[in-house]
Amino acid sequence: MDISSPAAFVNGGLLRMHVGRKVRTVLQVIRSDIASVMGKSTDGFQVVAKGSPPVPLTSYVEVIGVAENENTIRAELWTNFGDTFDGSNYDQLCRLANGEFKHLFL
Amino acid sequence: MQANEFDGNAAFSGGGFMPSQATQTAPERPFSSSKNSDARSLLPLTVKQLKDLSRGGESDISIEGVDVNNIVLVGRVSKIDNAVSECTFRVDDGTGWVECTKWVHEHVDSVEVDAISVGMYVRVYGQLKSIQSRRTVHTFSIRPVTDYNEITNHFIECIYVNLYNTKLRGGMTTQPRMTNSIGGPQVANSNFGDPGKGYGYQANLTNQYNTDEQIRGISSMVLQYLRRPACLASEMGVCSDVVARELNVSVDKIRQTLEFLASEGLVYTTTDDYYKFTDA
Repeated sequence: MDISSPAAFVNGGLLRMHVGRKVRTVLQVIRSDIASVMGKSTDGFQVVAKGSPPVPLTSYVEVIGVAENENTIRAELWTNFGDTFDGSNYDQLCRLANGEFKHLFL
Repeated sequence: MQANEFDGNAAFSGGGFMPSQATQTAPERPFSSSKNSDARSLLPLTVKQLKDLSRGGESDISIEGVDVNNIVLVGRVSKIDNAVSECTFRVDDGTGWVECTKWVHEHVDSVEVDAISVGMYVRVYGQLKSIQSRRTVHTFSIRPVTDYNEITNHFIECIYVNLYNTKLRGGMTTQPRMTNSIGGPQVANSNFGDPGKGYGYQANLTNQYNTDEQIRGISSMVLQYLRRPACLASEMGVCSDVVARELNVSVDKIRQTLEFLASEGLVYTTTDDYYKFTDA
């Protein structure tokens, strides 16, 4: 068991709190190329994930990686989350996981 | 009122997985005597919570007053070791990873194990075991996650059960900070006294919020204050003392309000006692 390298749940607004650290977020893909995905975070910010996105991509993709700055993630792991993901639930979870219930996550 | 129609109990305990059914029917029973039923309960947990358990006493594995025995985790498989009679998975839920062992005795077990691959999200039901101070999960069932909303749901359930066991059961909190916030033990106790009301904690919270004009007033004042450009610009956010001074309200009330706003996701804490508006 090891908790030394957690990936914090973030939305676009919370990304800035974790610059330089490991994060996980779900993006709604706006456009993608071979080395990056530009997507909309669950709270409506534009976020870029750099790395090698999977082909094909679904509408929603989860990225786990290091927050490079307040709108870029260097993605290490990509997971297609399908086309019917509930972004607003995820957004609320991000807020709770960085607020009152942070001790359950980080 | 619409909020009244929300039944938190029905919404969250659907599968009968709530950790302490016994306390719902006999809430006045002292905690110690409900241990037997707690021991059979199924707790949704994060790996971080499991790790925090390990730091505590070795003899009695419990969290927020509930014995930890059967647990459910949702995470990504990051490693698989296949042996003749057992299969060991490393399940990473983003808060950390834990080793889960599945014994393979019958054909049905190997079918279940073969369906799992590295990189896949899975839901693991198992029993927490301690072997030579090492914690592992003896897996009853490991299933691929097919709907990714399950991941969000699992963590929200972890939060709900934590809240339920710390706040709503009342008194037995291990988080002293949380007992001060709105909807604390008093609400829980009044709820226990009237089982017909159910455990719709969200409904209660909302009702109290709506009827308590005073706190409502302070909430909007605090939000307005935190939305000011100067407050938004500050990386650290604003200390609750400063908010109290600026708004000329007692620090206690401001702290209560800020904690409530944080629980609603409208503000968040940066460091201890410093708050920022969420949609900055």
